[in-house]
Amino acid sequence: MEVDVSTIKHLARLSDFRLSEAEEESLAGDLKSIINYISELDKLDTSGVEPTYQVFEMENVWREDEILPQDASREELLALTKEEKDNQIKVPKVL
Amino acid sequence: MIYIPTIGIECHVQLKTKTKLFSEVDNDARGKEPNACVSPVDYALPGMLPRLNGAAIKYAILAGRAMNCKINPYSRFDRKHYFYPDSPKGYQITQFYHPIIGAGWVELPSGTKIRIEHAHLEGDAGKLTHFDTYSLVDLNRVDTPLIEIVSMPDIHSAKDAHDYCKELWRLMCYAGVTYGDLYNGNMRFDVNTSVAEEGSEQLGTRTEVKNLNSFKSVERAVEYEIVRQTKLLEAGEKVVQQTLGWNDATGKTSPQRSKEVAADYRYMPEPDLPPIHLTEEFIATESAKLPLMPADYRAKFGEIIAHDTLEILLDYPELMLKLNEISLQTGLAADVVLISNLFASVLLAEEKSAEYLNDLPSAADLAKLADMNTKKELSSTATKEVFLKMFDPQMKGRGTEQIAKELGLIQENDLGALEAIVDTVLKKPETKKAQDDFRAGEEKVIGFLVGQVMKESHGKANPSAVQDILRKKLA
Repeated sequence: MEVDVSTIKHLARLSDFRLSEAEEESLAGDLKSIINYISELDKLDTSGVEPTYQVFEMENVWREDEILPQDASREELLALTKEEKDNQIKVPKVL
Repeated sequence: MIYIPTIGIECHVQLKTKTKLFSEVDNDARGKEPNACVSPVDYALPGMLPRLNGAAIKYAILAGRAMNCKINPYSRFDRKHYFYPDSPKGYQITQFYHPIIGAGWVELPSGTKIRIEHAHLEGDAGKLTHFDTYSLVDLNRVDTPLIEIVSMPDIHSAKDAHDYCKELWRLMCYAGVTYGDLYNGNMRFDVNTSVAEEGSEQLGTRTEVKNLNSFKSVERAVEYEIVRQTKLLEAGEKVVQQTLGWNDATGKTSPQRSKEVAADYRYMPEPDLPPIHLTEEFIATESAKLPLMPADYRAKFGEIIAHDTLEILLDYPELMLKLNEISLQTGLAADVVLISNLFASVLLAEEKSAEYLNDLPSAADLAKLADMNTKKELSSTATKEVFLKMFDPQMKGRGTEQIAKELGLIQENDLGALEAIVDTVLKKPETKKAQDDFRAGEEKVIGFLVGQVMKESHGKANPSAVQDILRKKLA
């Protein structure tokens, strides 16, 4: 997989990160070496091997549809946000 | 050149579970303040893990079976990444690779079948309100369970698009998986429309109109897009593939400003939710809970209830349930026909009909009403009157016969009693002339005499029986 500065720019835009040119350069280098390292696995012959989605052999972990008291109140949760207004989270204008 | 439209529809249905899809917080935000139904999971606080709601799986099975869909024994969840303030997690948990509901079909009232590609479970996003310089975020709707139903491009007219959406709404309401409140966005439709030259192997370039929440707006938006796209093609221009918004006031579609430069959702398996593996027995047990569907009612009552009446009544599952109960109790088609007509022409015409629907009279009381009508103990006008009184808070619960008696509406059918009343009337000097006139061949005075008997009986005599007796006596 080709990883360069344009990959970093694309990912940063998708996540709304603002990066300096120096950061883009250095992250591109880091990401490239990580991907190359992981890509070693591509050399293995995995034909006939089922894809692994999880390493625990768990399935059907469901709960009952019953309302439980929450650990944090609306006020506590809103207090965690940067800014609130009228019991809502205030964010920079989007769209 | 003739252009053929092709339409595919994605429909989001909010499930009426008590709690959200991934946390034990109240899912019913109706009438509640912003951010009142929110858990730390909805805020995606560090370390918070989703816990799957088993009821959503059961509802998904019912919804799937309502659309004749295969239920996949194996399904799982994936993350769909996007950055937007309506989703604190930064991704939506959905089922991209292995949806719980497989292929099926929905039959429209016209008989046209629309195939379902698949349907899957996912969490809803929060709600944004935009202001001049900022936006406000309400997370009440975050992770409300949704079923997204994806149709095949089998729809070829605005009317069928309308009918498909309406039928989906009916199916989901009958299956009991949603409140079905369209005004509050319980069901939302994304409509893909394209047109292509007749006979063309390939579909035309499509546009997507997002977030429609009424059948009428679906129909109008499709109609508008068909005309707009056809005109473009006829003028030798091209349709641009894009996402559009619909303005109900102007009746036009217009390009939406896109959330992101390019959609790149980077799907990946959700590591926090183990897969769902349903046994055949579990699917069978849950599927068996599906009540009668509109198609079942059409098969059962299509021959006896007029088509238009039946289609109106099918919008009200409560009424169909009641008709079915009456049918099971009496086994008489005439009873079902009479009550269905009262439902359609009397009950639904009432101002308080919505209120009445929640508290219908018992099937036994309604069957009794039909019985009294059949036996001519109640005239058709009296039947309507008693029927309405059965919803009256002062009257209801007293039993049909009691209500009819209290209102003095029971017709006198006892021939002996009727004869006695007729005799009394015939003895009255003021009817003498009419009797002579009738005997002399003046047919229409019979009405006057019947009227006199009705008056004497305080309106309780059965007029046709009275006429029979009068004719015999005056012969």
